Amino acid sequence: MAERPDPSDPSGFSIELLLNQARTYLAFGEQLQPFSERFHETLNPEGDWGETVRLHFDQLKTALTKAADDPGGHPELARLWNVTLDTWQQVAATLVPATLAPPADPQSIAWQTYQQIQGQYLNLLRQAAKDALDLLEQRLGERATTGATVESLRELYNLWVECNEDTYGRMLRSPAYGELNGRLLNALLSCYSRGDTPA
Amino acid sequence: MIGPTPAQIAEELRHFQARLAEGAHTLRGLGPIEAGVLPREPIYREDKLILYRYQPRVAEPHPVPLLIVYALVNRPYMMDLQEDRSLIRGLLDAGLDVYLIDWGYPDTGDRALSLADYVTRYIGHCVDQLCERHQQAAINLLGVCQGGALSLCFAALHPDKIRNLVTMVTPVDFHTPDNVLTHLIRHVDVDLLVDTLGNLPGQLLNFTFLSLSPFRLTGQKYVDLVDIFDDAQALQNFLRMEKWIFDSPDQAGEAFRQFAKDFFQQNKLIKGEVVIGDQRVDLRKVAMPVLNVYASQDHLVPPDASRALATHCGSRDYAEFSFRGGHIGIYVSARAQREVPPAISAWLLAR
Repeated sequence: MAERPDPSDPSGFSIELLLNQARTYLAFGEQLQPFSERFHETLNPEGDWGETVRLHFDQLKTALTKAADDPGGHPELARLWNVTLDTWQQVAATLVPATLAPPADPQSIAWQTYQQIQGQYLNLLRQAAKDALDLLEQRLGERATTGATVESLRELYNLWVECNEDTYGRMLRSPAYGELNGRLLNALLSCYSRGDTPA
Repeated sequence: MIGPTPAQIAEELRHFQARLAEGAHTLRGLGPIEAGVLPREPIYREDKLILYRYQPRVAEPHPVPLLIVYALVNRPYMMDLQEDRSLIRGLLDAGLDVYLIDWGYPDTGDRALSLADYVTRYIGHCVDQLCERHQQAAINLLGVCQGGALSLCFAALHPDKIRNLVTMVTPVDFHTPDNVLTHLIRHVDVDLLVDTLGNLPGQLLNFTFLSLSPFRLTGQKYVDLVDIFDDAQALQNFLRMEKWIFDSPDQAGEAFRQFAKDFFQQNKLIKGEVVIGDQRVDLRKVAMPVLNVYASQDHLVPPDASRALATHCGSRDYAEFSFRGGHIGIYVSARAQREVPPAISAWLLAR
């Protein structure tokens, strides 16, 4: 007798994933609004387009970079940068069942070492994200020279994603990242093996 | 340059929010998502393993059965995801008699399972079952991804039991320069990992895969979802894939330890240094006909990692099939349905 596989519920998909990214996209759009406003105000036939872009892009970069440096200040915007770290921290927090792990001792050497390496990891991610903004500016500049226009917020977001994947991908494949990725996991495991797990 | 005015951006954001609100409602109403659609029957069980036979779709299927060995990572229903995306359906339609190993979900009691358990015991017992059931001395084996590496080990250790071997997106040389998974695991203390955690949590593997392309896979993908909110079919397809992506079984600790160290870190498969139980795996003993199917845009198993089989196996009847697509597209894209099962079945039926 043939059996049909049991249907499964869609619980593999968390609507929170969708809502988080939607909020992030909205924050991206809100950030772009004043940028667009200033851009269109100063734009005139005699204006220096390149200078206008540079000026406003610097302001945009400052805002986005600030969000990365101080995630608490604008968590939705910070999520644009920190997707990898966010995901990592969620995984790290669930690696060992709480019943097996006593609370973290913030004074322990293993835990401090882990925090230090996680800081280095975050710095690499930030640098890749900042490089992505430079790349985005460059791509927009290239479009300007050919007269091409970004027609919508979504198109700009997609371009931003493309630039981030580009710079992140280069970082990911670097020897420095491979080495740091190993050290990060090893340091976290050392906390577990010594009972110094994250709270 | 920057075309949209502030008013246009505001309108776009309003539209996005409205779609989001509608879509969240639609999503909640979709109900259960089925994955794995073709009728099948369990014919053998051992521990958590279940060997399934798919219901043949021709009156007289080919007398030599085809056993599919999927990876231990992720779930094998990717081979039969939905009605119109099922490589297994294509193989059945071509007249093959298809069996598949479902490894199940290892738990703490499976921590000590070794590669010898998976290769010699589990695959071995399934092969023996099929030989006996079909009165054949040897069967056809199709190994997928990591399951391909396990199949190569089995075929090298028991060449008399495998009539034809098909490997699909299978890593053979783990040290090609573009192998990003090796790059990420190279500095991991695998002993510390397994000694600390026991089994390797599926979540950790999943993080690794998502971290290869985080802005697309954890960001843009969900923003784009808003575009298909009024298409229930497309939404179901999306959710089915999501389900598969996040359905990551834990990995039995000892088997993971050996696979990570011997295959990824030390590249022992092509050196002839992998030992399963007390037997050394020599790929030159893979002398049966071999079809090596790889994806030319595979970001997880680079084509060169697969194509290394050509120089390391002992088969004089070796062929390759290059699919123009990626590691996932080779299972689920429309072109894969048109190209991959016919290529595999034609090759098998000619032997």
